[in-house]
Amino acid sequence: MKLKKVICGLFLLFTTSIAQAHLLNMTNLHLDTTNPDAVTLRVKIDLGQSLLSPQDYWRTVNMGSREQWVNIEPAVNKLLDGLGIFVNGVAVAANLETWSLVATSLEAIENPLSPQMAELTFNLNNLGLESSTALANASIELRIAEWLEVPWPALLRIDSASRQLPVSRLLTSSDRSSRSVPLSADSAIAGSSFAAKLAMEFQGWIPGLSWVAIGFQHIIPWGLDHIVFVLGLFFLSTRLSTLFYQVSCFTVAHSLSLGLATLGMVSVPASIVEPLIAASIIFIAVDNLCSPVLSRWRFVVVTLFGLLHGLGFASALSELLLPAENFYTALLMFNLGVEAGQIAVLALAFAAVGWLRSWTAYTERVARPATVTIAGVGTYWLLKRVIF
Amino acid sequence: MGLIKHSEKLRISAGIATVASLLLAFDVAFSAMAPAHLAFPLDERAPGEFPDAWIHGSKSAMDNDDPAVQVHAYNEHTYILRENKAINYEGAFMYLFFGNEVAMLIDQGSTSSPALFPLREVVDEIIDGWEERNGQEDIELIVANSHLHGDHYAAWNQFVDRPNTVMVGLTHEEVMAFWGIDNYPQQIVNFNLGGRELVVTGTPGHQGSELAIYDGWTDLLYTGDMFYRGRLYLEDWDAWVASIRKLRSIADQNPVVHLVNNHIEMTAKSGVDYPVGTTWQPSEPPMQMTLEMLDQAVEASFEIEEPGIYTYDDFLIYNQVPWSYTTDP
Ligand SMILES: [Zn+2]
Repeated sequence: MKLKKVICGLFLLFTTSIAQAHLLNMTNLHLDTTNPDAVTLRVKIDLGQSLLSPQDYWRTVNMGSREQWVNIEPAVNKLLDGLGIFVNGVAVAANLETWSLVATSLEAIENPLSPQMAELTFNLNNLGLESSTALANASIELRIAEWLEVPWPALLRIDSASRQLPVSRLLTSSDRSSRSVPLSADSAIAGSSFAAKLAMEFQGWIPGLSWVAIGFQHIIPWGLDHIVFVLGLFFLSTRLSTLFYQVSCFTVAHSLSLGLATLGMVSVPASIVEPLIAASIIFIAVDNLCSPVLSRWRFVVVTLFGLLHGLGFASALSELLLPAENFYTALLMFNLGVEAGQIAVLALAFAAVGWLRSWTAYTERVARPATVTIAGVGTYWLLKRVIF
Repeated sequence: MGLIKHSEKLRISAGIATVASLLLAFDVAFSAMAPAHLAFPLDERAPGEFPDAWIHGSKSAMDNDDPAVQVHAYNEHTYILRENKAINYEGAFMYLFFGNEVAMLIDQGSTSSPALFPLREVVDEIIDGWEERNGQEDIELIVANSHLHGDHYAAWNQFVDRPNTVMVGLTHEEVMAFWGIDNYPQQIVNFNLGGRELVVTGTPGHQGSELAIYDGWTDLLYTGDMFYRGRLYLEDWDAWVASIRKLRSIADQNPVVHLVNNHIEMTAKSGVDYPVGTTWQPSEPPMQMTLEMLDQAVEASFEIEEPGIYTYDDFLIYNQVPWSYTTDP
């Protein structure tokens, strides 16, 4: 190993590559909106390679701060002119608050491969918004004018109080706008399915409604086994009261176990719950076929199965993150969504075959074949969940 | 249950059995038709190959007619891409790893313009071909980065409007949240890329958000910009020392066949680099490195005490020296 001395002043080596070499000195823009009373934009820019000449920059670096300001003012104004900041589409003004100019030598500034980054902090005090909630719901866009050249690309980072993570946008010489970036929170469900995105939209104006939508989805379309179970209850008898009592027991029970499991008070592995749910479907269907009247112990069984299905919902729910701040509301809303989904299933069943219930052959031609099919589906799930 | 006749019981049982076996039969037939699930076992090493020489620029950028992006299949599920040195002297390498239903692009080169550097187009083409060969459709693309330097994400914007794409993001916080690292840089996490187990950990020193990735299927250890055949610009010496020793311990605990990375700046001559900004490197050494070279770096981590430029056979250490200084006038 030999130690080489640092050699200075060898900066004229680069011929063809200089024009493309502006990469290490790329521009950084940091828009911080976490404190609504002190929104700032921090710009890290290679001033000596962009808005000032290397010589001017080097002279300025070595001045006292008052003279520095005189020297950088035109460049700062040019930057402000070319840097458009828009809150809800309306341009807002920025004022330079502090600056720090860094450089090691004139040669270093002249060398495009050695970034000498100046840092300028602007405040955006007058956003034209009434309250901090207005800021949380605002969207913000940053644009660099066509005529303004900064060392590209420019990385924009936006921090906001209601987002856990910052947002990043890359601005390039041909793509000079960040486009509108909403400052509101992105939740754990963002970006998954279309339905979840729709739920997010709803959340904007009725908080909690998105959890209703998610609960609903856990019946239609994702909760096929729960749909089949509820249909099993539906096909027991043609009497509405029979159905009503069963569904009530089922609902109370699964709400209870969903709550307990989500709070962590009960925990049963899915490898046990899932086959048992399949078994419950078979049981209900076979019971329908063998004793077509509502016996008392049927209530007990339906309640037990309700507890079981609640555990199933809980394990599905555990894959989503319930918000810590309004946990109980979200849980309640999720459960309401499940009930709504259940009611929707029954309504559809009525629409499909309910009007046939007074037909004398209804039991023989509709209810029994349907129930046999339900038992078959349950058997298939049981085999699949136990064996495969 | 005694309410129904024996023959009725038989009929019901037969009905249930028929429905269940029909469904099972459909299920079996369907899963037989479904695309084969790719396996990425860790116990045997998936072989791969490097090109004899990478495309290494040209004397004049004007008459360079090499592709803007060189695409090399290391093996059927691992692609190494290189930006044409005539477009940007960095000649950065990029990686595309495939798993079931997912691909991950690590780094997006040094040029933003899609006209000069159509990375998106190239990546889409590779993915299309891969999907066709592997019977998978609409797989997800993860756009990630080895570290947060502009010469490795310039073409990031080409992917932001791509459907079915996860943009990891270009801030430290977004990157760590994506990988599930909440104790950077110490934490070592396992990342499941569609059945392909990656081991990911923080390796700062060159840049404060850098990650190293070990792929147990190919036994490749990817070291980004913190260890490659070239000028290792270290902004934080202590961090790099810890990182390079951690790579050594990862290599102790896992079989490693090659170390792969982001740039080639050395010449074929031991200890001699091409000057910064070179766009034609006629006698480039291979990009991949060996465990012996890693050992030499670990040794250096014990020897070096002060800022300065230190020359080794296969790399140079620029310990807290500004980027620009070159060793070869
Ligand atoms: Zn780098």
